[in-house]
Amino acid sequence: MATHTFRRSRLGGIALLAVAGLTLSACSTGGSSDSAEGGEIEPATITFAASTFGDPGLGPRLQELVDEYNASQDIVTIEPAAVPFPTFGQTVLTQMGGGEGPDLVRFDMPEFTSAADAGLLEPLDDKIDADELGLQEGPDQYMFVNDERYGVIFDTSNYVMYYNTDLIPEPPTTFDEFMDVAKATTQGDVYGLAFRQTQAEENGVWQDIFNYVYGFGGEWSDGEELTLNNPKNVEGLEAYQSLYDANVIPKGADAATFRKMFAQNKVGMELNNGGYLVATRGTNPDLNFSVAPIPFPVRAQGAIMAPIVINANSEHKDAAMDFINWVLEAENQTSLQEALGASSVATKTTRSDEQLAETPFLPVYDELTNSSSPQIVVGFGPQTADIRKIVVTQVISALQGQQTMEEALDNAQDEAEQIVG
Amino acid sequence: MTTLNARASRRRRSPLGSRWTPYVFLLPAAAYIFVFQAIPLLQEVYLSFTRTNLLNPTRSEWIGFDNYTRVFASSDFQQTLGTTAVYVIACVVGAVGSGLVVALLLNGSFPGRGIARALVTVPWAAPGIATALIATWMLNAQYGIITRALRAIGVDVGESGILDNPDLALPAILLTTIWQLFPFVAVVLLSALQSVPTELVEAAEMDGANRLWVFRVVTWPVIRPTVGLIALLMTIWSLRRFELIWLMTRGGPLGTTRTLVIDLYSQAFDSKQLGAAAAIGMVGVVIAMIVVVGSRLVTRAAEKDTA
Repeated sequence: MATHTFRRSRLGGIALLAVAGLTLSACSTGGSSDSAEGGEIEPATITFAASTFGDPGLGPRLQELVDEYNASQDIVTIEPAAVPFPTFGQTVLTQMGGGEGPDLVRFDMPEFTSAADAGLLEPLDDKIDADELGLQEGPDQYMFVNDERYGVIFDTSNYVMYYNTDLIPEPPTTFDEFMDVAKATTQGDVYGLAFRQTQAEENGVWQDIFNYVYGFGGEWSDGEELTLNNPKNVEGLEAYQSLYDANVIPKGADAATFRKMFAQNKVGMELNNGGYLVATRGTNPDLNFSVAPIPFPVRAQGAIMAPIVINANSEHKDAAMDFINWVLEAENQTSLQEALGASSVATKTTRSDEQLAETPFLPVYDELTNSSSPQIVVGFGPQTADIRKIVVTQVISALQGQQTMEEALDNAQDEAEQIVG
Repeated sequence: MTTLNARASRRRRSPLGSRWTPYVFLLPAAAYIFVFQAIPLLQEVYLSFTRTNLLNPTRSEWIGFDNYTRVFASSDFQQTLGTTAVYVIACVVGAVGSGLVVALLLNGSFPGRGIARALVTVPWAAPGIATALIATWMLNAQYGIITRALRAIGVDVGESGILDNPDLALPAILLTTIWQLFPFVAVVLLSALQSVPTELVEAAEMDGANRLWVFRVVTWPVIRPTVGLIALLMTIWSLRRFELIWLMTRGGPLGTTRTLVIDLYSQAFDSKQLGAAAAIGMVGVVIAMIVVVGSRLVTRAAEKDTA
């Protein structure tokens, strides 16, 4: 098994910074079409695949950004490719494994680490100068696999606590308050809280329990060894189970169902990422809600981190790099940030007064960027899907009373160790 | 005479009259089977002996029987085999049994028979994905009409609902599958029933045979070959059924609805282990071959008995 390490951006490719810096400065002025090597870019039409292009809220905004790039020069044309989220990773990875695929891809972290580990991505060490670009260190540290940079953050959606302000005027600030508020809000067909807890939503359960594990000081690994049965993990997941057992959630309801319930004032609280803001407003523009940091003992939560990468099979890597450089320009980062709403981008940007007036709680998301982690098992990125399946199966077994949470995580540790060797 | 000889000679030389003619007609089908079935099957056999990652399919490593050893040693796979057996047997028995009952009912004479015959085909005509999604909604733990109805009459389906209850998920999938399959069985058996000689039925009835006896000695021998063929088709279809199970439970909860094809998909696309997935696929192929050969042997034995 390959060892996968992540490191801070400042450690990456220092010897190459001078060359990369010159290149970037050349590329970052006015949407220059110079190649990363300093030569001319051949005219090309390239594809950029992202599941978000198909999102009814985000898609049109991202399309506008791409159109802006296409209009800024006449050498490279980007064609967006919208692949639906549920099958995005499999579709694109299978294409890339077969030697094809889009030139540019916006991946989620598990697929990013798998693709990088399999050598399907173009290394970007000599093309990106994190310091000069001012990339945010928190998320940027995860852009390295086997000590090599393979991507740049396109967007990051941090997990926060959404709460209905009609049902819950003051958000809880501790786990005990969280439990009390959830219990007090649960009445009739109104539930205090909602989270995923069924096998059919394995990926969603993983995302949800991630917040409990990290929010209680746990972690899935120390980067080199799996720590699935770490006592802190047990504590976090026992907290998750205590909410399940307290009957404060609509049990058996899938995310689509309980998110509609949240929009209909039937659910008081939900832990979700920044992308949920646009979706919730789209479902019910009149809903009164706000967000707060997740009230668990440790300020650490999951995040949907989505790097933009260049397919190693691409015949137009320079053209693809030109788009990345263009996106990383300060002005375009601000445009991207505005398009994304509550999500963050690669660099720190300033929210406009207009945005803040419309959504006063936007800074809550932004302040969590450096304490958020991608929902992968650090050091075991390519095996995350297998580990996830084991952990979720064991946790659900514990929820259904077939074993204690401690036993569940001990079993998960044993099973997962057999897989990772 | 000369003219006749010339015609005969032309007929002999005609490509349509040569001994190669049958092979020419068979060639397209043979080519299709070779390209789209034989080659992929051979490739699957090869893959099952290799360690191959979905992301690097061209870089395979030959590992002999390791995939098979690992697969059979896994308790999960043993559970998968058990679930597959239960699912297939229950599908065949349930679909053929209910289809036969419906066919017998539709073969009778009653007002509105034509409408009933048309209506009964509706589940078979419904797309599998639509069926799975509708069933999932009807079984939804909060709003599902079936869940609510069962709770209303005091049936405990668990707090998390039917599809997340390890004891109820497989029966729910089975009922959905049988609901979709039985019309096909009913329609095919109905046509077989209509070939039963009415004079034989009438003669048996005049001899005092009751309905059950008539069915046993007159109807069953006529429809038995059709039932055998349908049972074989149902077995093969059930072995490879994917979309309905995947959409309803993805093989959960706790692996209780994980059949061979679900396991294969999961190995190939979640774990990205094409070699292990191919080994599971080969197990499925072997099971299917055993079923087909077994079915042929049973049919021949039955034909011998009849002769």
